[in-house]
Parts: sequence; C-alpha cells; structure tokens
Amino acid sequence: MIELKNLRCRYDKTIILQDINLKIASHLSILGANGSGKSTLARALSALIDYDGEIVIDGADLKSLSNKTRAKTIAYVPPKLELYDSFITLYEFVLLGRFAYKKSFFDYSSEDREIADKYIKLLGLEHLRGHTLLSLSSGEQQLSLMAAALCMQSRIMIFDEPTANLDPLNSKIVAKYIKNLKRTHQIILITHDLHLASFIGSDIAFIKEQHAEFYGSEFFSDKVLEELYGVSFNSLVIEYE
Amino acid sequence: MSRFFIWFALVASLVISPFIGSVTLQLADIFDLSTLHSQIFFELRLPRVMFAFIAGAILSVSGLLFQTLFRNALLTPYTLGVSSGAVLGAGIAIKLGLGALFFGISAINIFGFFGAILTLLLLLYLSKFIKNVKSESLLLLGIALSLFYASALMIIFYLGSAIQNDTLIRFTMGSLSIIGWQNPLFIGLVAFVLVLVVYLYRFELQLLATSEESAKLKGLDSKKVTYMLLLISSFAVGSLVSISGPIGFVGLITPHIVSMLYPSSINSRVLKTALFGALFLVFCDTIARLLSTQNDLPIGIVTALIGGPFFIYLIIRKKE
Repeated sequence: MIELKNLRCRYDKTIILQDINLKIASHLSILGANGSGKSTLARALSALIDYDGEIVIDGADLKSLSNKTRAKTIAYVPPKLELYDSFITLYEFVLLGRFAYKKSFFDYSSEDREIADKYIKLLGLEHLRGHTLLSLSSGEQQLSLMAAALCMQSRIMIFDEPTANLDPLNSKIVAKYIKNLKRTHQIILITHDLHLASFIGSDIAFIKEQHAEFYGSEFFSDKVLEELYGVSFNSLVIEYE
Repeated sequence: MSRFFIWFALVASLVISPFIGSVTLQLADIFDLSTLHSQIFFELRLPRVMFAFIAGAILSVSGLLFQTLFRNALLTPYTLGVSSGAVLGAGIAIKLGLGALFFGISAINIFGFFGAILTLLLLLYLSKFIKNVKSESLLLLGIALSLFYASALMIIFYLGSAIQNDTLIRFTMGSLSIIGWQNPLFIGLVAFVLVLVVYLYRFELQLLATSEESAKLKGLDSKKVTYMLLLISSFAVGSLVSISGPIGFVGLITPHIVSMLYPSSINSRVLKTALFGALFLVFCDTIARLLSTQNDLPIGIVTALIGGPFFIYLIIRKKE
C-alpha cells in the first residue's frame, strides 16, 4: 500500500502538484497531458525530488528509508538512458541493479550475477550481453533499463513514459513485458498514452491543474473520457494486442 | 602489440631515468656509497623518479575521478582551477615571506594545499546556484576561477620583490626537482590512500558514471560519495601541487589513453590508470632531462608537448 498524504511538489516557487491524497493499493496508471506533473509525481515517489506532505509505503515514511532499503522497495525506470561510461556492457549495466544487495568494497556475488543473467534472458537480451550499452538501439536500451530495475527485486516498479522514445514495434514489446510484471510487482505507470494504460489494465489517476483525480476501471467509459479529453475512447484506440 | 610497445617504452624509461641528467651515471659508480655519483643517485635521482611516479598516479587517478563524477571528459582538477587555487595559495605564502610553520612543513605547501581545498569547496558551493547543473557550466566556472586566480597572482607578481617573483615563476611552471626522501614519502602516503579509496569505491564510481539520479535510485548516497571522493582527490592534488607546482595535461589525457588501450568499464580501469599515469610522468620527466641536461625543463611544458599531439592523434584515430 502506497499512501500519499497532502503531497505538494514545487519547482523553485512554482507549484507543480498540490493536495494530492491517494491510496494506491493495486496497479496504477498516472495519466495527464504533457507537463501536467506526472513525472514529478513519479520522481517524488522514488525520492528523487523533495516534497511537502507524506509518502507512506507499507506503513513506513519514504523519507525515513535508507537509500538501500528504498532501492529494495521501489524501482524506477526512467524514460531514457543516461550514461557517461561509454564502455560499460549490457551485462555490467544490468548488474548495477544489484548494488543495494552488494557488500560494500566487494565485487558482485555469484548470486547477483545469476540474477542479472536471469533477467537478461527473461527480456530476450542474451545475444547482446557483451555489447556496450551505447551501441544498442533505444528499444534495447529501454529493455536494459528494465532488466537493471528488475534486478533490484523491489516490490514496486515505476515506469516513467516507458514507450515515449520507442517505435511502435518496440512499444508493443515493452508494453507486453510490463503487463506480465503485474503478476509479480505492483506497477505504477506514468504515461500520456491512454491506450498503453488501457492495455496494461490498472486503476487510473488523472492529473490536471496540479491535482490528481482517482478513477477505477470506469475511467475508460465514454462519459469520463469525453469529460476529460472531449472525445470517446474508441476514436482514440490503437491496438497493442 | 601497440599496447605492449607502449608499456615497454614506459617501463624502460623508468629504468633508465635515474641515470640520465647533467651527470650521466654508470651502474658501477652508484654502489660505492662514498662517491658523489652514489649520492646524486640516491639523494637526487631516485627520489625524483619516485616523486614523478607518485605524482603521475595522483594526477591521473584524480583526472579519472573528476571526469567520472562530473561526467565530462574535460573536467579535471587542473581545468577546474583546483591546481590554480594551489598556485595562488603558494603565491600568497611566498609574498608574505613565510618560512616553515608546522613541524617543519613549509608555509608554501600549507597555503597551496588550502588553496586547492578551498577552490573545490567554492566550486561546489557556486554550482548550487546554477540551474540544472550541467557539467559545461561547471567547466566555465572553473575557467572563470582560473582567470580570476591568474589576475590575483599578477597582483602578487606586481607587488613582489625580484627574489620572490623568481621563486613564484619557477613554482608556477611545475617542477619535479626535489632533494631527499621527505616529499616522495609524504606524497607516496597520500597517493596510497587516494588509490586505495578509489579502488575500494570502484563499483560506486561505475554506478555514478551512469547518472547521479540513477545511482541514487539503485541505493547509493550519491551526493555523499561524490563529495567524499572529490574531497580526498582535492586533498591529494592540493598536497602534490603545493610541492611540485601545477602539472597540466597528465590528469586530462591519461584516463583517455587507458580507456583506448583497455576499452572496459570504469571499475576495471582505476589501477591501470594509476600505473599508466605514474609511468607516463616518469617518461615525460626522462624526456625533459634528455632534452636539457644543464637546466631543468619545467615538467608542465613537457607533459603538454608530448600529451597534446598524442591526444590529437588518438582523437583522429578514433574517428577513423
């Protein structure tokens, strides 16, 4: 259970989000227009930015968690890869996901290495294992980011615009993997893509004018969509299946 | 093959270096401890080669560290003004005519050391006011600081006596001429701590080379580790530069050369960079003494003369 209590996020003096009160018990997609503050909410949930109010995860205040405990609880998958080390291989990068489990000053254990290989295989990346990350396509990089996040074995996974930089084919692949993860993880999906959210199938929070509105499955009814977007759902559908 | 050749040349220079200089030494002479040649060898040449070796290790590991932590290939203690800070500090001590202060450590060294540390703290403080800290803005900040320091140094020159200015000019050129074992032993201890810490934190460094955010998400206290490593490295560079004066280019190019010789992730390049940098500076110093056996050619000039073209060659070869 993730609880947001009177959450307020600012960038300098500009208020991005305020009075956010949500109880997230299951999978959640956070929708909203570009610039509405979806990513800000995701970044607050991952403790990447400071916020006022409270974020409580399974009864514990997010700010009270140590870096390692937090990493073992929440994994955040950014929209795209940032990297300075141009020689790091896919395998080495995925292994970084095990950092919170690694003994200080020592190398990654054989268990860490097995787990990294397991997720590389799961996401179908074995043939790229020894390739440098920067030589991969955006789709392959997105899958690598997912593999590294999966290695963290955290209960909650936050995906921030996972398909924003991908072509339709890779978007489908990534979308399917995320849907599969619903069985093992609590998924929080940040997207402006209604169809991705509908395909993943989760509760919806819609962000508009600094506030978040919570919807269950009734979000995808024509009534709600017409109210929010001014058009019906069917007129917007792109098939992911 | 080329890798073997490069290492061979570097190690060879380490072996012949102590025998080269205004007096050419024979192997047979140096073991007769009563001779002047033996004294030159053990009290001048060997300490100097050791000092160059250790200085090279400090400069290149610090270069690797700064480049990685700021995620920019051009950021080193030298380009960020940390070395200039040390020079200014030393300049102030020379101008004030301060002699030995604490436990026989010269005031020039102490002022130089604090010049470096204070510059780093100033950089970190100023970077808080830059919106969306991009490493490019930090580089500009470093350049601005260096220019400011250069002007401040000019004032010291302007006010200084001829003797003070001569000392200062020689200091700003960077020199490896030292006498006896006190400096190499002290700097050796500093280098040992630096290399050991960076080696122990090699996986943290590998993680920080993704991005500060990504490192934090994976469970690292990014800020704390970054500041700790920067501080230790500035401590080492400050200690070194306060004795040798600034030696440019080594910290900038050796991490690149090593990454081209061994294209692998950062964690596996720490020790190689330290060793390569150490041998590279000995090599440069050997060249300096081969070129001018009467007077010492300032080492900073030689590192730039050798390093610059080599760097250009590497960039062109990479493009091809």
